[in-house]
Amino acid sequence: MITIRQARAGDQIAMQQCNLMNLPENYHMKYYLYHFATWPELSFVAETENGRVVGYVLAKMNDDSGAESPLDGHITSLSVMRSYRRLGLAERLMNQAQRAMVELYGSKCVSLHVRVSNKAAFSLYKNTLKFDVDHTEKKYYADGEDAYAMKKNLEGLYPAEMDSLDF
Amino acid sequence: MSLTVSELPQKEQGLFRTALKLYETRQYKKGLKTCDQILKKAPNHGETHAVRGMFLTNLDRKEEGYETIKHGLKINPKSSLSWHIYGIVNRGDNKFEEAINCYEEALKGDSENINILRDLAHLQAYTRHPTKLIETRKKLVKLNSLFVPFWLGLAHAYHMAGKYDLAIKTISANEGQMKSEPGIGPSEISELLMYKNWLVELNGDYQQALENLKEIRPKILDITGWKEQKANLLFKVNRKEAAAMAYQDLIERNPDNKEYIYGYISCNGLDVNQPGDEDAVLDVVHTLQQQFPSSSTLRFMPLTFCSGENFIKAADSVAKHALRKGIPSLFTSMKTLYGNQAKTKALGELLEGYSVQLRDTKRLSDSTDDEAASVLMWCIFYLAQHWDYHGDHERALQLIDEDIKTSPETVELYTVKAKILKHAGDIRGARDTMDFARQMDLKDRYVNTKAVKYMLRNDDVVEAEKNMVLFVRDDAAHKIQEIVDTQAIWYMRERGHAYRRLGDIGRALKQYHQVLSSFDTYRTDEYDFHSYSLRKVTMRAYVDILEWEDKVYSNDVYVDSAHAAIECYVELHDRKTAGKPFAAIVEKKEKPLTRNGSSKQGQHNLSAGVDEIKVAEVDKDPNGSTYVDADDHLAEALKYVEKLESVVGSQPATHALAFEVHLRMKKYFLAFKSINLLKSIDSSHPSLIPMAVRLASELDSDNTFAAPMKAALKAQLSKSFGDVKIEDAIKANDQSLDFALAGAKALVAMGGDADLELARSVLSKAASEKYGETRTLSNLLRAKDLLIKAGGNLESQVSELSRNAKVVFPLSTCF
Repeated sequence: MITIRQARAGDQIAMQQCNLMNLPENYHMKYYLYHFATWPELSFVAETENGRVVGYVLAKMNDDSGAESPLDGHITSLSVMRSYRRLGLAERLMNQAQRAMVELYGSKCVSLHVRVSNKAAFSLYKNTLKFDVDHTEKKYYADGEDAYAMKKNLEGLYPAEMDSLDF
Repeated sequence: MSLTVSELPQKEQGLFRTALKLYETRQYKKGLKTCDQILKKAPNHGETHAVRGMFLTNLDRKEEGYETIKHGLKINPKSSLSWHIYGIVNRGDNKFEEAINCYEEALKGDSENINILRDLAHLQAYTRHPTKLIETRKKLVKLNSLFVPFWLGLAHAYHMAGKYDLAIKTISANEGQMKSEPGIGPSEISELLMYKNWLVELNGDYQQALENLKEIRPKILDITGWKEQKANLLFKVNRKEAAAMAYQDLIERNPDNKEYIYGYISCNGLDVNQPGDEDAVLDVVHTLQQQFPSSSTLRFMPLTFCSGENFIKAADSVAKHALRKGIPSLFTSMKTLYGNQAKTKALGELLEGYSVQLRDTKRLSDSTDDEAASVLMWCIFYLAQHWDYHGDHERALQLIDEDIKTSPETVELYTVKAKILKHAGDIRGARDTMDFARQMDLKDRYVNTKAVKYMLRNDDVVEAEKNMVLFVRDDAAHKIQEIVDTQAIWYMRERGHAYRRLGDIGRALKQYHQVLSSFDTYRTDEYDFHSYSLRKVTMRAYVDILEWEDKVYSNDVYVDSAHAAIECYVELHDRKTAGKPFAAIVEKKEKPLTRNGSSKQGQHNLSAGVDEIKVAEVDKDPNGSTYVDADDHLAEALKYVEKLESVVGSQPATHALAFEVHLRMKKYFLAFKSINLLKSIDSSHPSLIPMAVRLASELDSDNTFAAPMKAALKAQLSKSFGDVKIEDAIKANDQSLDFALAGAKALVAMGGDADLELARSVLSKAASEKYGETRTLSNLLRAKDLLIKAGGNLESQVSELSRNAKVVFPLSTCF
């Protein structure tokens, strides 16, 4: 039984190690904590019954100087262990992160980068998560590889909810 | 900063100000020269010495820098500036308590200096001194009551001290003026309101918190957080029906969050852990399932609380769904249920039944058409893991090989085959199988990671490193350093274990220290957030970070690496005292190392790879000689023992290990304390009696220990344990290899002829049938290591053990 829930401070080491197991783009703990301390509601984990993190989405807002409000959401890293594929975890994680982007920051759009050579990730984003290629960024990665900058329109996906205050 | 620069001539006063500016702009070399210039004219100006010292510490001349600052303070011990500098330098070196002292001294002469007070507050928060923090925070608010991070900091200080009412008051008094502050927008306001609501809850006023929650809703952006709080508070004020609706609302947002579902169930007055509620809970879950058919959590949940027919029905639905969809994690999910024998048996029969049906008819009971061939493949995949779990490795291998024959391109099959081989003790075969899988998908880091791990388990450190760096970013100057810098703690730990098995204690210790220092970095990473989080107003996340940091060292990887490091230091000490000190292995090419006494030929040459030569530029100590050549190995070990005692004092292993260090340091009362602590956790722990016997024997042989104290300790020991012998303890528990090993370990440590004789006779029979399930692979390997240490005769005793271990693990290559 795998649960999808908001990431907590206590998940950050597990997220970092999951990232190191699966992906070539790795980050210091400080970077994870920076995400958590700035946008605590945007990142989610997939956790097994015995408390192991087998997938995560690490997300942020594009708040670079000059960015206009409402800000776009951005996926810094998304990863699911190979042995936990076909459960739809990436989709479920992304769905939660996207909703939080819309509700907290009014985002109309979410973006991400993917290596042009990473066919598996590209097909996940394109076909499963419904992202489109916005443009190609030359030499985006430190090793000189290009990135597809992909985007997804979030408008209308998460309509505002009216909460009854009669309680 | 109030400067006593007036003591300087006019020109030097100007230079002094320049020096401070140069520090701010990080022009340290220029700053140093400027200080020298001042000191030519005024060699006794204390503050210039202090500033000069600060430049030195930033120019990699640390020791000299500290001395220079201290010299400056000697000349002018009342200088607030010099103390501030001393504080900054200490803080930069993570000497937080020392830094606090300096800042407190600095305040004596400059009590309203905002910079000093703010730094001090961060230090007091970092070191968790809430009472002092409150005082500092109050002063800051007094100096600038409008600045949000200041009053928010005071509120947090009260929170840390458990004074929730004062924290709430502080926020209430200030929140009104917040909107006009720069950097404060709707999301900061929303965060603050949610934080305050949480404080009201912490203060125990649930009803009030609930009322407050209603009021703040229009300003809240964290809708999920708000809804969670609503459900939580309604539950706490015992309004179960309303709470149930709130949980239902949350489930709609995220039907895969089990906490929401459990919350909903308990609001219905039901308890998933109560067997009597089984049918009622199942009804609730089924109703939810119809509403949220996409939820895999709801589909699986009945398996966790159902029994009998209900269980089989639920398992049947989950398993068929997974097999048809080709979900590789089916067994891993089910394994969490394997603690329950009835469930284990039912699952085995269920899947066995499927495989028979599929083989005979290509169909399952509810198939409308022939099933795809992959359904049988995944079914066999499950059964292989099922039998592996039961220790029937041969059957497991047969099944997985059958799968591989029909579907040779499925990577997952090899991953599981490698795991089975590992469990069977065929470490080499496991490594080769996983490496084969790696080559099937060279772009996938996951299989690469697994392959690297299995290589390390097989002690192929060089090969592992070659493969590990394949996924380290290309532009990293030193790829191995990059692995350390990105905090790949799993790798450093496994690598440490590999070196340790190879007998290279120096390199092993080096790896363990890399893990340990990664955790020190995790810990100090917190520091910047004391300022950052208050500016961002993300208070709930801030508090969560601090709570996590409080227990960061209790992480398994830290604890395991600390254990290993302590054991390495103990071994270094023992070899030194035995007159056979271990020397760091520098020239590795000449001496291929193998496992001690292993009959297996070691192809695992430790020869330095090209990468290791490259990394030597940044790594001044590739073979770990710093640790090997430490003056006092036990003092090094003690540092980690004390850490473990404070963070994982509830674990038996902590005290068993602490005992080893205390005893060797001749700290007999501490050794006795370790025994008692272990006893209080587990009064029948296998190591308990052996520890008591060893302490008594050490006391007998140590003539330097004062007689009255010796008598007192011995009296206490015999009061707790009587006149017990290790031999008796082993005999009394002769169905457990754990007891035999703990006893033998103590006998080997005592090292008398009779002790060793007894140890050898116990260990050479470690694979006897009477030990049953406790004959695990790792226990038998430990027995073999200990037997060699005890001077076991290779041809008779060691080979007897190996022969019998081979009967238990027929596929193993490690005996």
